[in-house]
Amino acid sequence: MDIPHLVASGMGGIRTAGDMVARMMYAKNMKLDVAKEYVAKKLGVTTMDLGDECVMRDLREELKIGSVTGIPGAPRGILAKMNIEDILDIKINSCEKFREKLRR
Amino acid sequence: MTEYYTRMGDGRRVTMTKEQVMTDIQAGTADAADMAGIPALDANDIEHMCEIVIDQSRVVGVEPGHEVVMTYDIGQLDFTGDNGNSGNGVDMGRLEAALLHERALGADTFELSHSDYSIKPVKPVISMEMQAMEEIQSEIIAPYFYGAMPNMGLYYAPDGPYGNPADLMREFKIDESMASSEAAADHLARDIEFVTTRLQAAGSDGFNFDTTGSAGDADFVGTLNGVRILREQCPEAYINVGAAGESVMGIHGMMEFDGEIAAGLYPHQQCKLIAKAGANVFGAVCNTNTSRSLAWNLGRAVTFIKKAVEDSPIPVHVDMGMGVGGIPMFETPPLDAVARCNKAMVEIAKVDGV
Amino acid sequence: MAFENETQKLHDALVSCKVPEISKAVDEAHAAGMPATEIINTLGGSMSEVGVLFERGKLFLPHVLSAAAGMKKAMEALNDELSAGNSGGDVKASAVMGTVEGDVHDIGKSICSTMLQCAGFDVHDLGRDVPLGKFVDECKAGCTFCGMSALMTTTMVQMKTVIDNLKEEGIRDKVTVMVGGAPITQGFCDKIGADIYGESASETTRKAQDVLGA
Repeated sequence: MDIPHLVASGMGGIRTAGDMVARMMYAKNMKLDVAKEYVAKKLGVTTMDLGDECVMRDLREELKIGSVTGIPGAPRGILAKMNIEDILDIKINSCEKFREKLRR
Repeated sequence: MTEYYTRMGDGRRVTMTKEQVMTDIQAGTADAADMAGIPALDANDIEHMCEIVIDQSRVVGVEPGHEVVMTYDIGQLDFTGDNGNSGNGVDMGRLEAALLHERALGADTFELSHSDYSIKPVKPVISMEMQAMEEIQSEIIAPYFYGAMPNMGLYYAPDGPYGNPADLMREFKIDESMASSEAAADHLARDIEFVTTRLQAAGSDGFNFDTTGSAGDADFVGTLNGVRILREQCPEAYINVGAAGESVMGIHGMMEFDGEIAAGLYPHQQCKLIAKAGANVFGAVCNTNTSRSLAWNLGRAVTFIKKAVEDSPIPVHVDMGMGVGGIPMFETPPLDAVARCNKAMVEIAKVDGV
Repeated sequence: MAFENETQKLHDALVSCKVPEISKAVDEAHAAGMPATEIINTLGGSMSEVGVLFERGKLFLPHVLSAAAGMKKAMEALNDELSAGNSGGDVKASAVMGTVEGDVHDIGKSICSTMLQCAGFDVHDLGRDVPLGKFVDECKAGCTFCGMSALMTTTMVQMKTVIDNLKEEGIRDKVTVMVGGAPITQGFCDKIGADIYGESASETTRKAQDVLGA
């Protein structure tokens, strides 16, 4: 079921900017168009670019927010999410909990 | 007259003329409009849906730029589960399943879940679930929820301490039945608080309440009371509340949330209560009738969901799994049917996500 | 049409699902000379409408039960006349109902049991996670309807085992096998050789009544 849905209308998750649009939906109750506009503005791209692998692959690597292929040394997990927090101007719970555990 | 390949609600391939498809879409939308007291689809929508249904391409999709968010439920169970929960029977760790969804399947969100996929059995293994959540959060980038069904049936005899309302009703013990539902709903809300607040403490992005109201209106109200507690205690939580059907089943009949009777509410009404409870996203559902055509089911489902999208104060993600959202009730849903239902929900109902 | 006014009042009272109103309408119809069998048949027809309204979310289970309680009270009140005529109030048939072994989902099955009970069937509801042999035992003991429910594709296959066991016992022809539940379809019903597939509780009840010619 995942594949036909992805092919028919899926944003693509971290292949593109789907994870970030989803975050704005959940973090701020933004409807689809508003969430897309918000993320596009923060990334400096068009809303059309948000679902374009060619645009987003390079941009994600440049912004250090993770991608679908293993890039040695590139941030992933909590590190990538901390960069997403900065870019989208939101707090992410797992990052907050991570910071709470640091000694400094 | 040209005949087009399409499907029945049980997945069987059939051929229909364009006129037959149009007639079934009209009948499906009229059924939804009559049930919920909402507008039927207009002529443009019906024509558009008909074109989607009779498109002879194997796969259809939306135009670039019109993509929507994909929220996945049931966690790793779609890989690891058996055919009881439509899983592939491929055993793997929960981290691997999460990263596969994120990196290979394009999931915009994903979730951790217990093999029973119900809230109650999570309580005795909460520490294990918290540890798994912490570990996976350190690796995953996409929003990662904990997901489970409220499944209030587990609170009734023989699995729980309260009398089964349906059994009590058959003995005409209506007051006792109602009291049992109310007690079980309170218990469910307490368990939701116990489980969800601990998972938030472990770094979960939020909680997906899947199939809310499966045990009727008391299940729906108990869950919303739990959601309200979670929102109060964890303002940062991403909360998804998915329904169990197009209508809240009235097993109790009089239970209220925020002064409104829950029984009999349709998606365009459910969304308002779910938003009031503190959810961020509403997962709207319409069940498939296996004896009717794809056209009839899709016409009906899109009618319910379109009105919900229009009226909802929060984003709406339509549930589009096996036997819901117009998709045939078949364990391996045909690709052509899934893609058609998806496109119609995005382009006609204008959902925020799937 | 004779007793047109009374028929309408009986119908309206039953669909209102209020026991006192049903009793009042029954008393008035009886006082006006309407035969007991006609009163019960009118209420039975209206009960089917209550089932459809429940299915469409317009009425809830307690309403259905109140209507059934009103009907039960009417049958008790008219018992003498019904017994004298021997033409009403009898149990239509016995039905064993249950969710098959390994499956604990029973809400849909319970609603179906309630509907069948309201329609005059003597329902033996065995609950959920029912060992397959118990269905056969009940049929051997006299149940002529066997209703099985499953919510999972892993458990629905057991329905065929029960049908095979009924054949082995030589009683398959005496039993109407009904199947239902989320993953069940007409195609599955046909494939395993069951007699009735119900998309909903009221459809199952209607089809069961059709078998009896009720």
